[in-house]
Amino acid sequence: MMAQTIALRVAAVTPLSPTLKAFTFVPAAGGLVPPSGPGAHLRLFLRDGAKLHKNAYSLIANPADRSHLSIIVRRVAASKGGSAFLHEQVGEGDVIEAGLPANLFPVTRTARRHLMVSGGIGVTPFLAYIAAFAAEGTPWQLHHFCRPDEREVFAALLAPYAGGSLHIHCDGTLDGLDAALRRQPLGTHLYTCGPESLMGAVLGQAQALGWPKVRLHSESFGGAVAGGEPFIAVLKRSGIEVAVDAETGLLDAIEAAGVEAPCLCRGGACGQCLIEVADGVPEHRDHFLDAEERASNRFIMTCVSRSRTPRLVLDL
Amino acid sequence: MLISNIKSRPVYERLAIDGAGRRHLVLSDAPRPLGEVIDGTESAGAPLAYWVVAGTSAVDGQPQTGPAGNAAEVETRAFRAAAHLFDRLTHRLGQETVGLRLYAVGEEGFIWEVAKLARAAGLETEECRTAHAGSLRRRVFCVHCKTITEGVTTSLAACAGCGAQLVVRDHFSRSHAAFMGVQADAEAPGDLPPVEELFP
Repeated sequence: MMAQTIALRVAAVTPLSPTLKAFTFVPAAGGLVPPSGPGAHLRLFLRDGAKLHKNAYSLIANPADRSHLSIIVRRVAASKGGSAFLHEQVGEGDVIEAGLPANLFPVTRTARRHLMVSGGIGVTPFLAYIAAFAAEGTPWQLHHFCRPDEREVFAALLAPYAGGSLHIHCDGTLDGLDAALRRQPLGTHLYTCGPESLMGAVLGQAQALGWPKVRLHSESFGGAVAGGEPFIAVLKRSGIEVAVDAETGLLDAIEAAGVEAPCLCRGGACGQCLIEVADGVPEHRDHFLDAEERASNRFIMTCVSRSRTPRLVLDL
Repeated sequence: MLISNIKSRPVYERLAIDGAGRRHLVLSDAPRPLGEVIDGTESAGAPLAYWVVAGTSAVDGQPQTGPAGNAAEVETRAFRAAAHLFDRLTHRLGQETVGLRLYAVGEEGFIWEVAKLARAAGLETEECRTAHAGSLRRRVFCVHCKTITEGVTTSLAACAGCGAQLVVRDHFSRSHAAFMGVQADAEAPGDLPPVEELFP
């Protein structure tokens, strides 16, 4: 089954810094944009000549405002093509196909208070969070960590919500976070989004200070590399073998071979692409399987994981 | 009709200190040695308090500090009655920060009242652990008139509100901290099963 898509027209492109651009979309057919919630993302299908990039970006506007959808894209030096394409080839008036907004990083509705920790462009889901919290009057606090040269860019993005709840840190350490983690009233939930190293450090520090896992939430923005050792994926049910080269991800290779495989986030988070492994040892790179499931080697998340063995037999 | 495979009947395990906590508060609805109600106090590695319902007016309101098990210090505090403990607990939870672990041991009416206060204060289920001790008597919620009847030890009990003869079911409500009671002779008035002592 193909996911439902929508045609979006680029209403505005706003450069924020040499590497950051904001894009605002409206439905090409007019009307309201599809509903979403704080933390939702949008998958864009970017047709770059013969190549099709499927990139997901966090939505940054208040979801209650259905007049438009907005994202911020950082042009990555080692881009697989998606961010460079958006930065260089997409302008106002262009129409882009997109999936319906999906949310793998929702706000915990039972929380009394929300503590957010972001690194760099990882602030994007929190822009939507804060817009929603500000509208509802829910208490929140944001600690944003970034490079000194980008301080002004992020300060400007967060300016509408500036106040006691907003802290921007540029000293390259997480020292500013310790006091905040020690002083949160009961009922506070913690959310972090940014580079893996930052999220790992934040979650580790919180757990050391007695935060149970149920209060901790994180979203990776797919910093994981797709590449690795080449291998052969044997698709048992389809009866074909797919060569996965050093630069291509397993899911991409399966799709290129014309086989439809389940998937959603393509970032190892949602669990939709789980496939049973009949033979071979997967190299797990996802955030979905627990330690026991990983050790059993019975499952693989095809969007990010690869193979440790030259052949990997999948029930697909 | 009485005891079925109802999944809401709570299952309890013996309490143990959660080493990840930064402060621990243990509550008991009767005087019991701390080591009897919870494991791991000697290696808690964080401040530990033990609040006990003494059930007598002759209590010293001041907290007493002493050793717990092998090493850790414990601050013990006695309360005249459960109501007084709940009052102080609400106050304490209102000032607490993330990192607290709460433990409650006692009869079901007590431990689920604690769970309710904890939830209201924003504690997650993982941060509040409960274990049963003492009598099995039940709080029974009349599904007809919504009255809660306390201290029921029999399979059939008269509702304190509407007087209906209620069958005490295993169907447990965490929000009411009570078991569901349904009129036993609703279909054939006066036709009642024998009364058994089930929850001593």
